[in-house]
Amino acid sequence: MTQAETQSENKLKTKDEVKVAVIACARSVNLEGELSATKLNGVSNCDVIQVPCSGMIQPRMIEAAFNAGADGVIAMGCQIGDCHFREGNKFCRERLLGQRPPMIKKTVPKRRLKGLWMSEVQVDDFKARVEDFKGYVAEQLVEEQKGN
Amino acid sequence: MLTSFVRSGQKVILRIEDILNKVFSSEQNLLYYHGAMPNFCMWMLFLSGLLLFAYYTPTLEAAYQSVEYITDKLPYGDVIRGIHRYAADAMLLTVILHALRVYFTDRYREYRLIAWYSGVALSVFMLIIGVSGYILVWDERSFIIVTKITDFLGSLPFIGSSLASAFLNGEVISNYTMSMSFFLHTGTSFALLVLLWVHYMRISRPVVNVTWAIGSLISGIILLFAGLFPAISGPEAKFTVEPSYFDIDWFYLWLFPLIDTVGNIGAWLVLIAGVTLVTLLPNFVRNHDKEPASVSKDHCVGCRLCSIDCPYEAIYMAPRNDGSKYKEIAVVIDDRCAECGLCVGACNFDAIELPNYKSPQVMDDIRIALQS
Repeated sequence: MTQAETQSENKLKTKDEVKVAVIACARSVNLEGELSATKLNGVSNCDVIQVPCSGMIQPRMIEAAFNAGADGVIAMGCQIGDCHFREGNKFCRERLLGQRPPMIKKTVPKRRLKGLWMSEVQVDDFKARVEDFKGYVAEQLVEEQKGN
Repeated sequence: MLTSFVRSGQKVILRIEDILNKVFSSEQNLLYYHGAMPNFCMWMLFLSGLLLFAYYTPTLEAAYQSVEYITDKLPYGDVIRGIHRYAADAMLLTVILHALRVYFTDRYREYRLIAWYSGVALSVFMLIIGVSGYILVWDERSFIIVTKITDFLGSLPFIGSSLASAFLNGEVISNYTMSMSFFLHTGTSFALLVLLWVHYMRISRPVVNVTWAIGSLISGIILLFAGLFPAISGPEAKFTVEPSYFDIDWFYLWLFPLIDTVGNIGAWLVLIAGVTLVTLLPNFVRNHDKEPASVSKDHCVGCRLCSIDCPYEAIYMAPRNDGSKYKEIAVVIDDRCAECGLCVGACNFDAIELPNYKSPQVMDDIRIALQS
């Protein structure tokens, strides 16, 4: 499926239909017992893929998630200032902001890409933030269609 | 059991940090500068110590008077003395905070062993500096400290008497004893710098400086204490008077009540057991099997990004002469690798991978998850 096809499919989804991929640091929000395979319990259409540290998230992984049909992508690490591996989340944030190589491609819809920095204990907060983000992505998809 | 204890400690720390983040922002979160705060206090001690050093006289006759001169006559001398006194307490407090945080967040073992061992050594050196500092004032408390330390050192079998006379710098308390205490106080302080260099080894870009706001806050608190509870000497020590004044500083002088309670040998045992226990803490947890990042010769283009990003100085660039068109190749030092994947995040060429989390595999996982 090409990116253009994916995007045309993305149009006019309700908040619940919006598909979100979370590429998450395994040490940030503790999702033990919160996942059925990769699906986040209690939130519709949200997949979580864990990596050892948010600093490992490559721009290409974010692209892969959009290309595979995600409407929104969240890169999640620990709270900025606290990283088990010292600098992973800072580097990840800098990549999201386009301040650190490798850069994210211009074709990636950056308005539907979010950095989220939360600690192990913020499970409920995390779910609420994903819900908010889904609402935002749904609005964004409408905006993008208007723009076209 | 140990693991669940540490895990719950980590949760407490994370919750406190979350609150501090909301109040002060993560940029000014005190707990994110747990290592920089002792460093800041140390430089306050070096600076205030330098000013005291200019006027202090390390002899039995003049030491007490010189400290009194600094306190009473020198403009702001009492403030400088107060800063020196309370910055030392602040340094110890922040060191304890630092140690607790790295312990409970599991950041003290495996690839961080050098930092842990040098940290223990730094703390022991701090104790020596702290105790010897109290001798320099040469009030009655100093006198008691000298006699007790002499007995304490002398109580060790075989080397005890040599240690005791090395500490006294002779067989009796003399001006040479003051020189030795002065050396233990200032000379050992410079050893801290060497140990700190070791402490920062294997850490790229260590956080050694606090922000202006946090620095001001710490200075403010120290100044407040210096003003509210001025650092003062007890009665001058005299060889003709039985010393009785011993105002205890629980930060650095806890050794003496300990000696009074369990005796010299008992205190040695407690000290040695304590230091050994803390040193061996990393051994109480089983290290996981090492699976360090590996570099693919075919893919590495020598762009250096992974070696720049590695937070543990585990990657260096080596010249390559295998006929490749690229000049350098990344090399991973396996023992230093934390398996965090920051190098993978920095690589755009699939050239460096964690054996357990290869990036093509992660991308496949993403695709499979989204299509399910």
